[in-house]
Amino acid sequence: MSKRKSREAHLAVGDCVAQVQRILRERFCHQRLPDRPVGLESQYKHLLELLRRTAVHGESNSVLIVGPRGAGKTMLLRCALRELLELQEVKQNVLQVHLSGLLQTDDRIALKEITRQLHLENVVGDKVFGSFAENLVFLLEALKRGDKSSSRPVFFILEEFDLFAHHKNQTLLYNLLDVSQSAQAPVAVVGLTCRLDVLELLEKRVKSRFSHRQIHLLSCMSFCQYLDAFRSELALPDDFPDSKFSQEWNLNVSELCEEKSVQEILQKHFNSCKDFRSLHLLLLLALTRVSVSNPTLRAVDILEASRMSSADSKANILHGLSVLELCLIIAMKHLNDIYEGEPFNFQMVHNEFKKFIQRKSHSIHNFEKPVVIKAFEHLLQLELIRPVDGGVCKVQREYQLMRLMLDHTQVMEALQRYPQCPTDVKQWAISAFG
Amino acid sequence: TPRHATPSIPTRSLPARKPENVLEEARARLHVSSVPESLPCREQEFQDIYSFVESKIMDGTGGCMYISGVPGTGKTATVHEVIRSLLQAAEQDEIPHFRFIEINGMRMTDPHQAYVQILQKLTDQKATADHAAALLEKRFSMPAPKKETTVLLVDELDLLWTRKQNVMYNLFDWPTRRHARLVVLTIANTMDLPERIMMNRVASRLGLTRMSFQPYNFKQLQQIITSRLNRVKAFEEDALQLISRKVAALSGDARRCLDICRRATEICEHSGQQGGTKLVGMSHVMEALDEMFSSSYITAIRCASLQEQLFLRAVIAEFRRLGLEEATFQQVFVQHQGLCRMEGLQPISVSEGLAVCQRLGACRLLLLEPSRLDLLLRVRLNVSQDDVLYALKAD
Repeated sequence: MSKRKSREAHLAVGDCVAQVQRILRERFCHQRLPDRPVGLESQYKHLLELLRRTAVHGESNSVLIVGPRGAGKTMLLRCALRELLELQEVKQNVLQVHLSGLLQTDDRIALKEITRQLHLENVVGDKVFGSFAENLVFLLEALKRGDKSSSRPVFFILEEFDLFAHHKNQTLLYNLLDVSQSAQAPVAVVGLTCRLDVLELLEKRVKSRFSHRQIHLLSCMSFCQYLDAFRSELALPDDFPDSKFSQEWNLNVSELCEEKSVQEILQKHFNSCKDFRSLHLLLLLALTRVSVSNPTLRAVDILEASRMSSADSKANILHGLSVLELCLIIAMKHLNDIYEGEPFNFQMVHNEFKKFIQRKSHSIHNFEKPVVIKAFEHLLQLELIRPVDGGVCKVQREYQLMRLMLDHTQVMEALQRYPQCPTDVKQWAISAFG
Repeated sequence: TPRHATPSIPTRSLPARKPENVLEEARARLHVSSVPESLPCREQEFQDIYSFVESKIMDGTGGCMYISGVPGTGKTATVHEVIRSLLQAAEQDEIPHFRFIEINGMRMTDPHQAYVQILQKLTDQKATADHAAALLEKRFSMPAPKKETTVLLVDELDLLWTRKQNVMYNLFDWPTRRHARLVVLTIANTMDLPERIMMNRVASRLGLTRMSFQPYNFKQLQQIITSRLNRVKAFEEDALQLISRKVAALSGDARRCLDICRRATEICEHSGQQGGTKLVGMSHVMEALDEMFSSSYITAIRCASLQEQLFLRAVIAEFRRLGLEEATFQQVFVQHQGLCRMEGLQPISVSEGLAVCQRLGACRLLLLEPSRLDLLLRVRLNVSQDDVLYALKAD
């Protein structure tokens, strides 16, 4: 007995790491629901109470959940629905309709989807019959026949609510909100959006029918709470098969939190973005470096992950350019400095480049003009430069006006990091920037 | 294809719970959907519409009426009440019998669907829009023995506008026919709709019988709430007055008023567990008003991350420097780098800066051009500069 137990308790390191990867990846990538929303207690209570009243008392309601991207709007709603559906009384009674503004791009599609999800009688299998107008009449008739106490309440959940406001005449929103304000089948209309000005998008009669309840998810999280979140996101659960491994892992995570360098990185992330989604991304990048040969998370891993996630994308492109292309960019930068951001064309850049060759270098960078044109066009393809008037026009390629899409700092940084940059090019660049 | 499907929502296994205490009772009464038998404060309008429709029914003639008013002033509810009492009168043989049909411009996908819906409600016939128009035309222009008057209510009239305006033209032209016996009541929001969007021949057929519903003032709103509550003692007198004054000052929308009352009862319920006094007081009402009317921009700015706040400050700094209300991302970013250095933070890369800018744009604190313009995208504030400064300074 004891022998078997001890065998269960100590898995091989490889198995443990595989388990850790599985559990944590599910947490980070699949947005698994937490047991209770963290830091959103009052909002959660408000929403839960509202939905409960619709489900139990048959009271129609409408509400908007507003918050920046990654603030946990869907998580909040799903948690509330999960808790609500645990009640026996609610579970058998509630109908749910989930719509998303990205999928249901116009009212016709949305209406079909509603009819399908409600299993109304004009649905056969998965197909909805009848024209758009007939569908609308049918749905409204169905909702009108219902009444407060006897028909099943319907939850309409509209994700990306602001996109529904762009539909023609806002017919769908008007009708849903009108049902919620009149004595018909009980409905709860829940909209999720990240736009703070969403009410200004609504037409005045649609707005008048909306109950003006908004649940804002604006978290005023402090850095301490952020650290706690970091710790709890990485911690292994109690039912992890190998208790010794999980204890060591959790201890290691707590130690990481104390470490100065880790705290600095987290502080930097916290300063730029408070939401959990960016934290998850950082942790996922760190987690990929955990393996059998390296079974614990180290500060170096987090440092590396942070470096990867905060790297400047254009600087990376610049490192991959040839010396000629780099020279052209320096010439453009020079032109930008002299003429204060006025657009340039190929001829001007070429002249600038020729001056450099005559003055500084003697033979190495002396390319034919077609070669320089080719390099210029390569930069155009990479969108490091952009035509001023948006592309095709009658002007020849050499005379088309362009703008440089790089910042001063990006060019300087790229020059310093460029592998084996010729000294004369470097000197020219520095002289150009003064 | 199921031809005669009956539309219905499935019934629930056990009926909904009845309200259990005073506050729940009050909440059920205050719900917008529970329209009372007679609307308070709309007696004059009721009388006018009633006598108009009644006289047309008695004479056996037709006519049009245009009713306007901002949303939430009781237009549709009043008309429904008029029709209800007329139907009662017809039941008792005080006036001749009549038919009532209702269409709503927002409930149809296309203005021409109006014909289909009218025809279906009149005769239970299904037809295409063109065919329905022809059938209705025939019906209203032909004399028929024992024809009863039809009262047609057209809600959200402005949605029936088409380029040729033939739907509106027909609706207003039918009542002028000798044998039509059609009374058309139209409802819309704007007072000058006939002058603004209708052609002359359409507007002249609509005629001059017009009525406008004024927004409720605070006394009327208060009366509405009291009559709804109807002896259920759930509110303090002052609290009701505050709500009605606030709503009357903003819009005069009765729906808003009722929604706020309902929210206030909820707040009271959550806070009232320890006190035991189940009466909605001033503090609850204040909280509800705050929740529903206050703009969230300032809270959003306060809750933004440090870099986002710095970016907003950089935007304002750049606006001040340029003297314009618009700047490119590149210009703002230079300011941002400067501010980072002043605050002792590590400067961020352009990609990160752009991400910060996009996040502010997604929640509409900033107005941005499409992000493929990259460094050249122009940035504008969606909030006033004073609001931003206030939000950033207060902490």
